[in-house]
Formats: sequence, C-alpha cells, structure tokens
Amino acid sequence: MSDAPQEERTLNLSRHEAAVEDARRFAELAVSYCTPECREAVTLAVCELGENLIKYSGSADDLSAGTIGVSVEGDRVRVRAVNRVTSPEDAEAVTAIVNKITVSDIRELYRARLQELFANPSLPRAQLGLLRMAFEGGFSLSCVFEASQLQIIAERACTGA
Amino acid sequence: MAIKLGEKVTVETLTVLLSSPTELTLAGTLSTPTAQTEFRRLLQDLHAQIVATRAATFAVNVEALSFVNSSAIRAFVDWISRAAHAGYTLAFKTSPSVTWHRLSFSVLKSLAPATVEIVEARAGGGATP
Repeated sequence: MSDAPQEERTLNLSRHEAAVEDARRFAELAVSYCTPECREAVTLAVCELGENLIKYSGSADDLSAGTIGVSVEGDRVRVRAVNRVTSPEDAEAVTAIVNKITVSDIRELYRARLQELFANPSLPRAQLGLLRMAFEGGFSLSCVFEASQLQIIAERACTGA
Repeated sequence: MAIKLGEKVTVETLTVLLSSPTELTLAGTLSTPTAQTEFRRLLQDLHAQIVATRAATFAVNVEALSFVNSSAIRAFVDWISRAAHAGYTLAFKTSPSVTWHRLSFSVLKSLAPATVEIVEARAGGGATP
C-alpha cells in the first residue's frame, strides 16, 4: 500500500430497501486491496453508519439519507458519515454516545448495552452500531455537529495491506 | 419464514438450513430490513418448536455467516433470553477467523453463561468446545 493519501470514495446513500446492502458492496470495493481484518471492519462501519442514516437522518422525504466516505492514508483508514439532522436532540445523543465510547472500556460498554437489551426486550432501539464499530471494528470515533449537519468519523489502523 | 427439515431457504443474501431437528445453519450476510424481519420471525418460530419438543440443546452453526447488522445481534440477544427462560441451551458453532464471531459471541455468552455454549471451529474443519 502506498503512503500517498487516497482520495475519499463517497457513497450518496439513497433511501430504499437495499440501501444498506449497497453500502456493504461499496465498502468491500473501497478497501478491496486491504487486509481481511480491515475489510471486515470497514464493512461493519459503513453498514452501521448507513443504517443509522437511513433510520434517523433528515426527513423521510429527502431522497438522500446522507453520504458515507472511505479513505486510506498510509496505514490508517477513515470512514466518514455526513447527514442533515432535523433534531438537535438526536445529534446531542449521538455526541454523548461517541464521547462515552472514547473514555470507556469498550468491551464493558458493549456488554452493558447487551445486558440492558437482554433484561428489557421491549427497548425500542438497539443502539449497538457505534459500540460495535469501536468494539468489533477497533475504530476510534469522533463527531462534529455544526449548522444542522452531523459528521461521524471512524478511524483505525489498516496495516499489512 | 416457515422452515422445514432439510430445506434450504434463502432470503436475499441470507441462507438458512434446518439441518436436523436440533440444528440450524446460517450462511451469507444479513443486512436488509426484509431479511431482519424474516430472521426474527424464524427465530421466534424455532423457539416455539424447541419448547414444544423439549429439546435440551439447540445447535446454531454460524461459521459461514460472514456479516450481520446490529438488528441481528439483538435478535440473538432476544433468543438467548427466551432460551434462558425456557431452560434450553443454545450451542453456537463459530469461526475464529471472523472478528464479529470471536468478539460478540463471547459477550453474548457472558449474558447467560448457563444457556450459551460457544463451539469454535478449527481451521480446516472440526470444532473445539
């Protein structure tokens, strides 16, 4: 793998039944030359972010749910989701989860959430996507909320490609 | 998704096979809303069947299930919860080369250690409990 920065490949996610499956194929192509572990992690991140965009971003009338970008620079891979947010509360909730992941033992955090779901099967939202990205995918997460736009960035090592 | 013994059922990119009365094999990927809905329904039907037949253990081979979204993880959580209440064991056969198997199933087992068994397949076949 060259150390030269790769231009970000971007998927404009439209709202339809197979959107997440489209996102999965996009991810596999974007990092097809990387290690199996990296490919698996990027696919997970793109699908989880894609599903969140479809479920929660903007309004259902918007044709586009948002964009997901993938780029590789040196031995780092970055996945970036950008979407319009209609509810600042939702953006603040995402920011709080990302901040919690950043300062916590991620396995314990993931286990605690699964335990909540185990004990309360009627909870309306699983809210596992960002936790899985950090726990299974090994990503560091950050997010920015500005001018009604939420950006989530996930980065991790991609060695041995 | 009604499933009969020995019949392979495909829902989009997910393949499901009830290979014996007490063993389910899952393969492919699970990411679309349709597949999620059908998968949850399948697990509910299977749970009722397991309870009706009073099976003590039910095996789930996920070795070839390469990718699932979070909804599927939640479906597994719900199934483990139902199995724990009903008193049967779920034995998941996993692949050590798939990251989500290695990481998430160990956490799933920690939710109900007496209900969940993990049988990790060896490279080249076979399994180690």
